[in-house]
Amino acid sequence: MAAVSTRRLQKELADIKNHGTPTGITLLKADDFETWYLTLEVLGESLYKGEVFALKFRFEPGYPISSPAVQFVVDDKFRAPLHPHVYSNGHICASILGTEWSPVLSVISVCITLQSMLASCKDKKRPPDNDRYVAHAPENPKKTQFVYHDDEV
Amino acid sequence: MPEPWVPTVDDLRVKLCYICREEERHDSPPNPPVAWVHPCNCTLVAHESCLLTWIQSAQSDSSRAPNALKCPQCGAVYELESENPLPLRILNSLNAVLSASGRVVSIAGLVTVGVSFGLGVYVIFTSYGAYAIQEFLGKELFDILLSDDPSNWPWHAYLNLPLIPVSLILSRTNLLDMFPIVPLFLAWTSSPAVPTTTTALNANFRRSIRGPDDSYPFAPVIHWPPSPIMVTILFPYVSTLYRRYMMRLRHWVMGTQSRNRPPVRRIVWALNEDGPLRVHIGANIQDDDNVPRRGGDAQQQQQGQGEGQQQPQEGGQEQQGEAEPQDPAAVAERTIRVTGASLGRYIGGALMIPRISSFMGSLLLKLSRHSVLLRKFLAVRPPRTAPVEPVSRWFENQDFTKLGYLGQLGTGITLALQVVCGGTKIFADSDPVWWRNSLGLGLFVVAKDCINLLHLYLTKREIETRRVKSRSFAGVDYRELDLITPPSAQAEGAETQ
Repeated sequence: MAAVSTRRLQKELADIKNHGTPTGITLLKADDFETWYLTLEVLGESLYKGEVFALKFRFEPGYPISSPAVQFVVDDKFRAPLHPHVYSNGHICASILGTEWSPVLSVISVCITLQSMLASCKDKKRPPDNDRYVAHAPENPKKTQFVYHDDEV
Repeated sequence: MPEPWVPTVDDLRVKLCYICREEERHDSPPNPPVAWVHPCNCTLVAHESCLLTWIQSAQSDSSRAPNALKCPQCGAVYELESENPLPLRILNSLNAVLSASGRVVSIAGLVTVGVSFGLGVYVIFTSYGAYAIQEFLGKELFDILLSDDPSNWPWHAYLNLPLIPVSLILSRTNLLDMFPIVPLFLAWTSSPAVPTTTTALNANFRRSIRGPDDSYPFAPVIHWPPSPIMVTILFPYVSTLYRRYMMRLRHWVMGTQSRNRPPVRRIVWALNEDGPLRVHIGANIQDDDNVPRRGGDAQQQQQGQGEGQQQPQEGGQEQQGEAEPQDPAAVAERTIRVTGASLGRYIGGALMIPRISSFMGSLLLKLSRHSVLLRKFLAVRPPRTAPVEPVSRWFENQDFTKLGYLGQLGTGITLALQVVCGGTKIFADSDPVWWRNSLGLGLFVVAKDCINLLHLYLTKREIETRRVKSRSFAGVDYRELDLITPPSAQAEGAETQ
C-alpha cells in the first residue's frame, strides 16, 4: 500500500507539471517519492547573483505530517551557498524545516522560503559554529536539533 | 430579518485537504463519507483524521507542541473537543507535578554529585544504604544488625550499603529487573548481631550468672512469617509473574496485542527539555481507511509516563504487520527521550522505595489493630525485651573438629537449610517489620500500576474521542469560495422566501 507521502507527492508533482515552478526554481530530478532534487537561483539583485544551488529533499512515509529532510547539495557540481544559516555540508538551520514545519507547506513553498532567505542575506559568511558542526554532523539534517538563532535572516 | 447565510465546509464545491492534498467533489462523495473540518478563520480545510494525526504528532514533541493547535496560515487556535473527565485531568496534573519534582531531583542530584564527587559519593551512598536498611527492616532489627555506630558494622556493610542506592535505581530498568537488590538483602538475613557495648555487656553478665548461653541460633524451620531468605528467593518469581499478568491486563484494557517490543535503538538525552505534558500513547486509534499510522503519532515516550518499564503500546507500523526497520518513524518509536524530569522521576522514585515501603508497612500495622487476621498474617510481635544473643556462642560450644568430614559437611548443609527455611533467630524473634514492609511495598506497586493504567486508559479515551471543532466561514470573503450554491443564488433564495 502506497504511503501517504506517495499520494501527496504525486499531487505536488502533478501540480508542478501542470503549473510549472516559480521563477528561479526548477525540478531537477523526481524519479521516486523518496528523494527529489531541485535547483534554486536567486533572481534580481542579491549577493548570490549568477549562482545556482541544488536542494535535496528526502521524504519519510509520514510526509507531510513529518517534515522533509532538506539540504543543499554539495558535490563536484554544486556548492552550498555562503550564508549564516547554511553549513558548508549543505545543512540548513531554518525553523520551517524543524519545529515550525506544518503540513500546509510543500516542496515548492519550502524552496520559495529558502530563496527569500538567500535573497535577503546581507553578509555572505558561514555560521559561526560551522567547523564544529560539520565535523560531528549526522548525515541526515533532521537528526540535528538546531537552535534557531534569529528569525530575520 | 433572516439570519445572514454563512457557508460551512459542507457548502464547498471542492474540498481540498491542506494536509494530504486529496480533493473531494461535492457531487461524488466517497463511501463511507469522510469527515471534513474547517477549524480556523481562513480558507484552509482538512480531513478531520489528517488534522487529528497532525495535532497528535506535533503535540508529542515539546518543541513543536506550540504550533500543534494553530492554523499555519491564519494562526487561529483550533478547538479540540474530547472526553476529558475529571479523573483524567487530576491524573494529568499529578503527572505534571511529579515531572516537576523529577526535575528538582535531577538538579539536586547533579549538585550533590558535583559537590561530593571526590569527597564522598561513597559516604553518601553508604549512608543512604544504612537509611534504606533502617527503613526497611525497622529500627529494632537495624540496631541489632547494623546500629548507628559505623565502627560496629560488619565488614560486608561497607560493600553492601553503598550498592543499595545503585541497585535500587538499576532495579527500575528493564535490563536487570529486580535482580541486583536480592543478593544485597540476602546478606542481612543471615548476618549476626553486631557486637555493640550493650550486647557485649549483657552477654557477659548473663554468662557470668548462668554460664554460656548455648541456645540453638536458628528459628524452627516452619514458622510464620516465612524466613526472609525464602522471601527474597521467591521474590523474583512473584514479581515476574505479577508483571506478566499486569501486562496482560494492560493489553486487555488498552486493546493492544501483546508482542515483544523491539529493543530500544537509541536514547536521546534532552535534559533541559520539559517534555510534553501529556501522556503519549500509541494505542489502536485506527482510522477507518487504511492509512498507515504516521510518524510521531504513535510515539512511545517514556517521560510523559514516568514509568519506563511497562509500556505495551505498539506503534502503528507494527500493528500493520509491516516491520520497517529503516523507517525513521519506527526508529523514533524505539527512542527513549531522557529528559531532566524523567530522569529525576526515575531516580527519585527508586530512592523513595525504602521510605514508601516503611510507610506502607506502618499503614498495615495501623490497620492490623482492627483485624486479628491481618495481625496474624503480618505476624506482629511486641518489641523484643530479651537481649540479643550473639550467634557465635552456640558455635563455640559445638565441637566441629570431632566430626568427620562427612559429618562436617552434613552439619553445614543442615545449617544452611535452617537459615534458608527458618532464618536466624534474630529475625525470628524480632517484630517482622521487613515482612509488612515488603507486603506494603507490593500493595503500593499494585496500586501504582492500577492508577497508571487508569491514566493510560483515560488518555486513550481522550484521544479516541477527539474532534476538531469546525467553524463556519464567517469572516472570510466567501464570494471567493467555490461554493455549491453561489452566494448570489443564496441571497436571491433568501429574498424570495
